[in-house]
Amino acid sequence: MIAELIEAVAKILFIFGVNMGFFAPILGWVERKQSAVMQDRVGANRADILGFTLIGLLHPLTDTIKILTKEDFIPAGANKLFHTLAPFISLTPALITFAVIPFGGQYEIFGHRINLVIADLDVGILFIFAFASLATYGTVLAGWSSNNNWSFLGGLRAAAQMLSYEVAMGLSIIGIIMVYGSLRLTEIGAMQENFLRWGIFLQPVGFILFLTCAIAENKRVPFDIPEAETEIVAGYFTEYSSMKFIMFWMAEFLEVVTISGIVTTLFLGAWHLPFVSSEKLLSLFGFAGPNLSIVLLMLTNIVTFFAKIIFMIWLQMTIRWTLPRFRYDQIMKLGWKILLPISLINIFITGLVVLLK
Amino acid sequence: MNYELNYTIGSIPLDKLKPKKVRKNIELTLWERLYIPEIIRGMYITTRHFTINMIGFVFPPKGKKRKIFTVYYPEEKLTIPIAYRGRPVLVQREDGKEKCVACGLCERICPALAISIVGGERHRGNDMERYPVAYTLDMSRCVYCGLCEEVCPHEAIVMSDEYIGLAEYDRKNMIYPKEKLLVPVARLKDRIEYVRKIYGKNNYQIPSTNNQIITKSQ
Amino acid sequence: MTDLAKNLHTEHMVINMGPSHPVTHGTVKFLVTLDGETIVDFYVEIGYLHRGFEKMCENSTWEQVFPYTDRLNYLSPIINNVGYALAVEKLIGIDTPERCKYIRVITSELSRMADHYTNIAASALELGALTAFLYFVEARELVWDLLESFCGARLTSNYIRIGGLKNDLPDGFKEDTKEVFKRCRELWVDVDKLLTKNRIFLDRMRDIGIMPPDEAIAWGFTGPCLRASGVPYDVRKAQPYLVYDKMNFEIPIGETGDNFDRYLVRMEELNQSMRIVEQALEELPSGPINVDIPEYRWQSKDDIYTKIESLIFHFKTVTGGIRVPPGEVYFPVEGANGELGFYLVSDGNGKPYKCRVRPPCFPLTAAMPRMVKGALIADIVPTFDMVHMIGGECDR
Repeated sequence: MIAELIEAVAKILFIFGVNMGFFAPILGWVERKQSAVMQDRVGANRADILGFTLIGLLHPLTDTIKILTKEDFIPAGANKLFHTLAPFISLTPALITFAVIPFGGQYEIFGHRINLVIADLDVGILFIFAFASLATYGTVLAGWSSNNNWSFLGGLRAAAQMLSYEVAMGLSIIGIIMVYGSLRLTEIGAMQENFLRWGIFLQPVGFILFLTCAIAENKRVPFDIPEAETEIVAGYFTEYSSMKFIMFWMAEFLEVVTISGIVTTLFLGAWHLPFVSSEKLLSLFGFAGPNLSIVLLMLTNIVTFFAKIIFMIWLQMTIRWTLPRFRYDQIMKLGWKILLPISLINIFITGLVVLLK
Repeated sequence: MNYELNYTIGSIPLDKLKPKKVRKNIELTLWERLYIPEIIRGMYITTRHFTINMIGFVFPPKGKKRKIFTVYYPEEKLTIPIAYRGRPVLVQREDGKEKCVACGLCERICPALAISIVGGERHRGNDMERYPVAYTLDMSRCVYCGLCEEVCPHEAIVMSDEYIGLAEYDRKNMIYPKEKLLVPVARLKDRIEYVRKIYGKNNYQIPSTNNQIITKSQ
Repeated sequence: MTDLAKNLHTEHMVINMGPSHPVTHGTVKFLVTLDGETIVDFYVEIGYLHRGFEKMCENSTWEQVFPYTDRLNYLSPIINNVGYALAVEKLIGIDTPERCKYIRVITSELSRMADHYTNIAASALELGALTAFLYFVEARELVWDLLESFCGARLTSNYIRIGGLKNDLPDGFKEDTKEVFKRCRELWVDVDKLLTKNRIFLDRMRDIGIMPPDEAIAWGFTGPCLRASGVPYDVRKAQPYLVYDKMNFEIPIGETGDNFDRYLVRMEELNQSMRIVEQALEELPSGPINVDIPEYRWQSKDDIYTKIESLIFHFKTVTGGIRVPPGEVYFPVEGANGELGFYLVSDGNGKPYKCRVRPPCFPLTAAMPRMVKGALIADIVPTFDMVHMIGGECDR
């Protein structure tokens, strides 16, 4: 009992630490630095401690200090309760959804069974969608409660966009659920041990659909119309400052990580290395004894999983810095008239194949 | 869009103009309609830049040619051309006095009214010479146009290559007195030479030698 | 459905876009009435950058106007300088040396390139594609380096003089230009690939802000926006000034007059400008760059330093200004945005009696409501970018 408790706390601390302590601040740096390198620039490199700039890695730290010391401003006429609540509502789902994403398989070490997922729910995907759709409220409330025309327009756009893409995103996943026959993310992950059984090969259309919809859900370029700065200033968070402002950004960055996690789990073979099965790895680590070799295997899997996540983050950042943004009606058209039918056709064809096999 | 042009354009008949139509195929092919190929092509370009620059960061190429365009300003400075117009300065003679004779041409031509001169006279050996008792240059007004340098008949004011440290927190500090403007002539030799060169006689064409027409219009 | 529309209480939303809004670069205010996302009513309010250029000119000598003209279209200042100088020269009736004309063409075209780079880059930026923006800004930076190498400043060039130029091109300019153009062409290809066929960009630009040719002429359009509507009007071809009649270049024209055509016309004009610069550098004759007429052009320093008559005359022309014969003149040049005209009146004194500028972007900005009414709020962005209103030029 105590061992399980320790395990659970350790896993929560690990995921929470990785997300809040590593990804959330680092992604701000990554976004600046990667865009800079893509655009023939240098990027943030000025903050230093005793002359060491550490290629700009200190900027997240200085930014945090700066943001925390800023005035927290609530505009006159704003609904104070919802104005304060909105960033929290945005941030929480981004953090919670990671609870059901497995970052490793199941291992037996020293007679104790470790399952590397915080909550191994049998409705894992549903749980993700349920909480991801809660993030809409944060955005809409932020837009409405700010008492600002730009925020209001941003909130309206966000509501329309996020609700529309929720539908297509949900349907784009059905194919992969049909193929693997499970909603439990750990099972889906475990079934992708064979390289050729990875989701991306079984459901290439589903992969593109899901990635598109997920980026749209996350409101990043090319789908950033709720915060399109040249049109509606900063959209729903025009009136936010200080830590509340940065909470929206953290939510966005954490959602990037979450999307990467889901995509990795569903389509990119979860924690498995391509072409190398767990047995092979175990025999490779055989020199370390039965228990330690499993520990090594576990570490390899975790590293593999996070490497894949980092690749997906890189991909999303590249997309974000390459493309211009859509227009409001074009996004709606894309969501309802293109992505939705394609995902329905995808489900139909997948169903036929699954049935006939 | 079929629009008949019912006017002539200048002296050239329209059929000889041969304008180039830039919009060739408006209709996208199905391949281009798919979004994905073009997105991948765009990402290929950005990734190419990314990769080249990453290699450049990890193994910095020797020499000046680098793909990253940024100049690390305080550590690195641009090599500015001789034509560059920086802070206007007064030329200081070898004996420490200013070369300016307070003729007032720069004061007159300055389009921003930044210069003000108070002239006076003093002894130089047995001769008398004019000199500026006060020469004030309001750097908050100066537009760095360089007209003062061009009209100066005595090579007394030139545009230096200084562009650092001109910003101030107080406007009062931006009014430069004579002492702050003086720069020894040795440091300004290149620029004086340059001004002499651009206003050299060989840059002027005598109209009578060429078939240049001067018509007084009245 | 109609019942719902009738009973549902909705009202229009009036928002002020600007004067400090990310899209209103150049400081302009739009008063937009929105029905949801659709623009019902649209007013443009200009004048936020009014410096009184025309009035200032009346109080300064003819030579002193040059630094002021730099601040008209601050993205292509040398074209303004050239336009003003040519207008004054026409009023006086002097002809500049051949080399001067060629250099004026070269510098004008380089300025035009810088302007178009900024325009396309800024449009890409405002549609969200920051990468294309920075690629073209790099190209513009290179062009500005070229400009800096001879005129001494990047933006406030103050390079052209009445009856000549401030100074000659530096040594090795031709080689530098070749190198710069090589890199510029590389970047052009990159941006072209990033934007032109990208469907997201295309959908944002295409069929937005359509201006049919007859209406474009009626509104007083000139420059790339008029050419995008399919009217091949270009001052460089219609009334060739300087040595443009000797240059071999084409006028790019569009078909529909939408934003995408304007973008394509500008992209093509970049190539044509490079062509002109290369030709002009090839044919550049050697020789003097100024006319030796002390009444109108400040004299050589050699004369001033050695001859007392020249010195006295120099004092006279600088303090009193050059005596431009009385009369009035209008001279148009092809600015980066269209026909940039200077209308000058002289009463024979040392100062312009009147200096009126025909800003190319004023009619374009005036037509903004016509182009965006009924469109979506997001369509303001590409339309205003392609109109390319420059505050300094429009408000003067």
